[in-house]
Amino acid sequence: MKPANAIYFIREAAQSLSRNRVLSFATITTVAVSILILGIALLMTINAGNIMNRLESDVQVIAFLDKNLNSSEISAVKRNIEKIDGVKSVKFVSRDEALKKLQESYGKDYDLKATIGKNPLPNTFDVKAKDPHQVAVIATKINKINGVYKVNYGQGVVERLFQVTRWVRVVSIAFIILLAAGAVFLIATTIRLAIFARRKEIYLMKLIGATDWFVRWPFFIEGMFMGISGSLIAVLLLALGYNSLVSRIGTIFFMPLVSDPHLLSQLYLSLIGIGALLGMLGTYISINRFLKV
Amino acid sequence: MLVQFYNVSKKYDNGVIALNDVSLKIDRGEFLFLMGQSGAGKSTLVKLLFREELPTRGQIFVASRSIVRMKRSDIPKLRRNIGIIFQDFKLLETKTVKENIAFAMQVVGASKKDMQVRVPEVIKMVGLQGREDSFPSQLSGGEQQRVGIARALANRPLVLIADEPTGNLDLETAQEIMQLLYDINRLGTTVIMATHARELVKAANKRVITLDKGKLVSDMPSGEYLL
Repeated sequence: MKPANAIYFIREAAQSLSRNRVLSFATITTVAVSILILGIALLMTINAGNIMNRLESDVQVIAFLDKNLNSSEISAVKRNIEKIDGVKSVKFVSRDEALKKLQESYGKDYDLKATIGKNPLPNTFDVKAKDPHQVAVIATKINKINGVYKVNYGQGVVERLFQVTRWVRVVSIAFIILLAAGAVFLIATTIRLAIFARRKEIYLMKLIGATDWFVRWPFFIEGMFMGISGSLIAVLLLALGYNSLVSRIGTIFFMPLVSDPHLLSQLYLSLIGIGALLGMLGTYISINRFLKV
Repeated sequence: MLVQFYNVSKKYDNGVIALNDVSLKIDRGEFLFLMGQSGAGKSTLVKLLFREELPTRGQIFVASRSIVRMKRSDIPKLRRNIGIIFQDFKLLETKTVKENIAFAMQVVGASKKDMQVRVPEVIKMVGLQGREDSFPSQLSGGEQQRVGIARALANRPLVLIADEPTGNLDLETAQEIMQLLYDINRLGTTVIMATHARELVKAANKRVITLDKGKLVSDMPSGEYLL
């Protein structure tokens, strides 16, 4: 692109934008709304993902040990568990600790020990997996170790949890794709109208010997401008809204909201990038039909 | 040889056969009329020349290059060698005379300096001095067509193609436009003019090609035509 041409392209784009003021404004607004919803959906997905990760990482295998093991036998069991592929951490919970926890959950008014007499709880290992999806496999292997009489990993519940998290992810991705397609469609429509208003001029340019790109550039600039300004507005609103949400509530379902500034600024920048991309894509879809002269 | 048509046929998607086995040659510097009633194939022939359409069969050469086999990206280069004048002028209403002419140079990437020299030159050539800053709506039909001619000449084309250039003008104005086209031809530009204005063709006493229902029915050297 020659510099002299660049000035011409930008001037043409600006002229077209101001000539179709109402339509341009409507498009920028729709882009802003689309990107805003897209941003909200993304923030929700990120936070949902965060919650899912935390829930998933809470998934663990509890290995109940035979009552009569001595301390060296217990550490042998521990070594055997650690040898299993995919085990992240193994934590010993003694029967006394377990009883204390149980007592805490009943509250001070109820003396558990007095009711049940001696401590009925076994020693346990809390085992965490590197990949929470592997707990079922790991649990089966632990169950085969000598000295372990039972394993518990929330059989049934865990499988359901994974089903729900997968479903949430698929639905949010589908939702985001639909919204992006909607924004592209709107930009394509606006650019098509702008092109249609100037189709005679474009025909003439082509007959005189203008290259396709000479005709395209002003419309591309126009489309990108609409995409970027729409997404800028959306990001501004989104950042203001989300920041005030984080500072006012801070948590959701007892989990902290994601507030990593690095991650958030990356998200905002990508949204602006997506806006520009949607503008270009919308223009591209509309213009080629008019260049076949 | 500037233009060569070899057994060119054009059938549109809707089944209409616009040109049927047409062969012709046009030399550099010629002035040529294309005669025929509406629907005879004149417009199709013109559209094939600047490759708005492709022939269904046959071969077309412009300045020794096949424009049938031409790549899409080479079409702009071809068109920069061809100036076109339209019956309805096709001027941009929002631009002045000067700007309409400069526009043609701008879209082919001419420099500002070139434009500053060439635009007044062609304005003088078509006799529109003093009307540079008028808008098309402030001009008469004849004046508008002069702007169209100036615009077509701005990029110094080898050929000037005029599709019914006098169709919207009264006889007197039409004769003035014809005079302008003769002058341009005398300066070396080949002129191909599609028309059905018999009086103008007779008076011109130039080569006439007559088309009828897509067929070339006569090619006479001096103002004679069939039909």
